[in-house]
Amino acid sequence: MIADLVQNTLDGLSAGATYALLALGFTLIFGVLRRANLSFGPAIMFGCYAATWTHVNFGAGLLLLALITVSGAVLAGAYVERLCFAPHRGGSAIAAMVASFALWMQFEELATLIMPRHLYAFPLLYEGDPLALGPFTLRIDALAMLGAALAACLALWWTLYRTRFGLAVRALIEQPAAAALAGINVPWVFVRVFALASAIGGVAGYLVVASHGQITPMLGMWATLKGLLAMMLGGLGSLPGAVIGGLALGLIEAHTQWYLGPQMRDLIAYLLLFVLLAARVPWMTTRSAS
Amino acid sequence: MSFLEVRDVVTAYGKIEALKGVSLEVAEGAITCLLGPNGAGKTTLMMTLAGILRPKQGSIVFAGEEIAGRAPHAIVARGVALVPENRLVFPAMTVLENMHAGAYQRGDKKTVPGDIERMFARFPRLKERAAQQAGTLSGGEQQMLAVARALMSRPKLLLMDEPSLGLAPLVVEEIFRIVTELHRDGTTIFLVEQNAHMALRVAQHFYLMEQGKVTFSGDPGSLAEDEVIRRAYLGSAQRPA
Amino acid sequence: MDDYAIGVLTNIALFSFIALSAYLLLIAGEMSFGQQAFFGVGAYAGGILTTLYAWPLPLAALAAMALGAVAQFLVALPTLRLRGLHFAMATLAAAEMARILFELMHWRREIDGELAGPDGTQGFRGIRWIFEHGIEPLHYLGIVGVLLALVLALFLMIERSKLGATLRGVGLDPELAASVGIDVQRIKLGVAAAAGALAALGGVLYAHHNTYIEPRNFDIMLGVHSLAYALIGGLGTAFGPLLGVLLDIGTLESTRVFHGYRMIVFGGLVALVLVYRPRGLLDERTVQWLRQRFS
Repeated sequence: MIADLVQNTLDGLSAGATYALLALGFTLIFGVLRRANLSFGPAIMFGCYAATWTHVNFGAGLLLLALITVSGAVLAGAYVERLCFAPHRGGSAIAAMVASFALWMQFEELATLIMPRHLYAFPLLYEGDPLALGPFTLRIDALAMLGAALAACLALWWTLYRTRFGLAVRALIEQPAAAALAGINVPWVFVRVFALASAIGGVAGYLVVASHGQITPMLGMWATLKGLLAMMLGGLGSLPGAVIGGLALGLIEAHTQWYLGPQMRDLIAYLLLFVLLAARVPWMTTRSAS
Repeated sequence: MSFLEVRDVVTAYGKIEALKGVSLEVAEGAITCLLGPNGAGKTTLMMTLAGILRPKQGSIVFAGEEIAGRAPHAIVARGVALVPENRLVFPAMTVLENMHAGAYQRGDKKTVPGDIERMFARFPRLKERAAQQAGTLSGGEQQMLAVARALMSRPKLLLMDEPSLGLAPLVVEEIFRIVTELHRDGTTIFLVEQNAHMALRVAQHFYLMEQGKVTFSGDPGSLAEDEVIRRAYLGSAQRPA
Repeated sequence: MDDYAIGVLTNIALFSFIALSAYLLLIAGEMSFGQQAFFGVGAYAGGILTTLYAWPLPLAALAAMALGAVAQFLVALPTLRLRGLHFAMATLAAAEMARILFELMHWRREIDGELAGPDGTQGFRGIRWIFEHGIEPLHYLGIVGVLLALVLALFLMIERSKLGATLRGVGLDPELAASVGIDVQRIKLGVAAAAGALAALGGVLYAHHNTYIEPRNFDIMLGVHSLAYALIGGLGTAFGPLLGVLLDIGTLESTRVFHGYRMIVFGGLVALVLVYRPRGLLDERTVQWLRQRFS
């Protein structure tokens, strides 16, 4: 019993690490632009498919594939930012979000056109045996995911608190009206925040695909749903909340799946979100879309 | 040629025109103040000058250059900084970080620390609280921080929107003392105020604004002070009982 | 008219119902990511009633609409005070829960010696009421078309009435509406119930047209499409969502030029149109202009 609990907790944390990264990406965009980017997952998928295509046609090492994934995600994210968010900056949030929803359709169809098979193999992060620690098994790739997620969080923290760009991002999150008055070039910050969020998403996407060893066109939807769910659970607009929300989601999923199966796992996660939203728990409703 | 020349500026929110053709001038090196009742459009004018709002019509010429409709950061780069209504400090950032934010678009990074020292000399209370989160400061301290932040961009023209709003009388005196000091040190100031009494004491020239237009222009003393105050709070239209 | 054209037109009509339900909520100021759930509720409920309990389709459709209305009402009730993304996420959570429940639902009965009914992820096949009652595709198109026309007429009537103005007022500025004495909560609940009924109607008609439904039909992509239809078509008139559906299914599907690229073209079109027309092609201003020119 205890062994299961601990094992599930370990598994949950490593899945949660990925969710945390996805939630961070969503939260960065929401915190700064006050809008949700519904093509976040699909843009990540674009990067993953770019890497898959490279691997299938040329073969490539892990590092190169990771680089391609991140670059692809950033490129796709820039496309979304230009078409869906830049034009509506002072205008309708709904138009921006629905436009980003619409681009999701594009990314999904593009993936199936370029890589027509439903499933492709992707090089595994680690192909050896898991580590055995007494009664528990620790997958090396799970450790790698936790490590990479931690590194990404530290890099994000450093960017936000030790660079000029980070100061601008925090200014926009805390007091958007005054940020422009302080001389911050707001549109340019938006572009860079998008790139940063997409890069973080790309890392998350790469970790997921490389640890599962496969990729399907469902990745886009999956990443969006998990990221949104984790972001909302941790409190909309809060970066530490995104990390907590992601880890919490991972833990909740791991434990409910163990005892109740995969469908109940998802059902309970959504139920939890719905209940938290309905109860208007304060940490969830601090910021709203403009 | 005046330092700042505003001509026939019209700014609208959707279909509603908040500024219906505002014209005024700010002389270099002077303190000019703008008085008027709530809803007259004073903040809208400030936001338009700072570039947050785009005017539908009209021109805003600063130091010979047209700045109407330019982006806010471009206007800051040209030497116009606004201390906004309600101060709008960055609450989770420290006092020091707030001041660094004010210097964001300055190219000469090396001179920033020197400026910060000078700010601390001018605002000793901010120096005490340098590492404190700005959201935890008192109203008066936040006002000073907002002014210091704006000054960090080394503006040639400082716009101030109701700096005395919500502050205790002693603090208001301090704020106006700082305004006088800045003026003495050469900064041009364009000041929106509800506190007509204090504003007239420091200004060299003032305007009255009502319902989106300028209704009076003159020196303090050209209109009896109680008349000015009456118009500033109530407007000049005689309303039926 | 050949079978292909009939099929396309029927699909246009069917998806118009869910597009209209998204549109109704948008008018009242709420963005819903979850109308696909109520479309699914209608599909499953209607299918179960006609296939397993031999209800006549009209009755089953009414029951489906009632169920859809109740379902969306129940989702709206606890989430009334949520706005923007929070409300949208609540609807998404509810819709995903519904989809998972569809996956878990096994409601089987023996009909004519065979097991029929929803079988979880295997889907629900054999919804053959219209075929068993000799209704030709063309007739069905007529029925669906008439129902859609009735719905549109209802919408147009409401648009011109005080209720319509109230709805739009609530949508544009709920605080202002509340301050003039409008019971915003009641309006939003009413709109939710109506939207649920509308989506469910589309669903039951869809299920009987396709004869086979599965939980995957009611995933978030359907919700994405219905929002896109409503917004690109325009929020100025109930013909807006129809235009949106027409643009996607009608033009792109029937011309076959973009076959295989339909979502790429449509998705890009939506984003592009929204840049210049954030409230769609037939937005309030355009509708106003059209009314003035043709009156």
